Amino acid sequence: MIGSIISSGMVSPAWDNLFAVILGMGFGFALEASGFSSSRKIIGTFFGYDFVVVKVFFTAAIVASLGLLYFSYLGLVDFSTLYIQPTFLTSAIVGGIIMGIGFAMGGFCPGTSLCATAVGRIDGLVFFGGMFIGVFLFSESFPIFENMYYSGSQGAKMINTVFGISPELFTFFLVLAAIGMFVGAGRIQKNIKKIEY
Amino acid sequence: MERKYTILAILLIVLALGLVILPKKNELKETDPKVLLSEAVQKSRYLTVDQVTHRIIENDPTLMLIDLRKADQYKTFALPGSLNIPPDSLLSKTNMELFSQPGKDKVLYGNADLTAEKAWLLCSRYALKRIYIMKGGMNEWFTTIVSEKPVSGTPSTADLDLVSFRKAARMFLIGTGETASTSAAVTVKEKVQVIRKAPKAAAGGGC
Repeated sequence: MIGSIISSGMVSPAWDNLFAVILGMGFGFALEASGFSSSRKIIGTFFGYDFVVVKVFFTAAIVASLGLLYFSYLGLVDFSTLYIQPTFLTSAIVGGIIMGIGFAMGGFCPGTSLCATAVGRIDGLVFFGGMFIGVFLFSESFPIFENMYYSGSQGAKMINTVFGISPELFTFFLVLAAIGMFVGAGRIQKNIKKIEY
Repeated sequence: MERKYTILAILLIVLALGLVILPKKNELKETDPKVLLSEAVQKSRYLTVDQVTHRIIENDPTLMLIDLRKADQYKTFALPGSLNIPPDSLLSKTNMELFSQPGKDKVLYGNADLTAEKAWLLCSRYALKRIYIMKGGMNEWFTTIVSEKPVSGTPSTADLDLVSFRKAARMFLIGTGETASTSAAVTVKEKVQVIRKAPKAAAGGGC
């Protein structure tokens, strides 16, 4: 059985950054190949003429969930060694609202803005610049936000434990929800005037 | 919906349903003796008192401190956020569920290393993951963090940083001017909270 190669000690943590760069390049390539460097495509989710963003991320979530659970069942992956991001509820809600507003206004999320910048899009560059200024201001004023930032700590919480169901059952409902969303999005898209971009 | 997407949707539903109806495996396994021996000779299970103290100060939510000393010693002084689990109740059902929590680094310590080593071996034998030992236990913690050691010779920048960190940690954890014998005020009585079912992760996503 294998775990993640860093946490299992197979590779020194000193190589973390190299892995991050390689994985980041792969992720960026996939984003660009899916057309995510276009703010018009991304903003289509909010106007109902293009749901590719929701479809791609829902597909990624259900494929990864099914893959991890099956590989774990077969004894091929030990995902107890995987890092689970701890939940800080207050900052997650506040951050989510801020990111949502930025997403709808700029047509990018942080990753896609870098993709757009990399392929030479001006709007992506402006968005990236704004994001960088935001990060800088937040870092400089961190002591003001520190209490809020760390409040609502829930530890490494799993959503299926919140509902009190097994991860397998939760994944089943997630798959049903994803397919329902795919069908619903297709119907909405049919009723919206097609936009060329 | 196009036919190819319909087929994909049905395939996904069947796979997800398969997960639900597959018989559950017994999650509590024992580690193969050869694997256990290989883990036992490695030093990766040790965390230094400085590393543990740093994570306490950072309020690291992935840190779970397990104090293996006697209850009266724990009441006299305990590290913030630590849980007192005497060795004789280490393998109780409640504690096994506690140790099975994912996303947590379980750090064991006693007064010295012996009790923690035994506990680590038992936990590893039961295939529990992310179990660590605070090297030297509470004795080492007091010697390193509480007792101020003079720096000999010409200290490097790293040595000076370490001394500064320990001084700050001392002030943070036991207050200025206090010594080990007067530090009982930091006693922490945290109720053990157990997540009943050791969950298996569903992956998240994001951009």
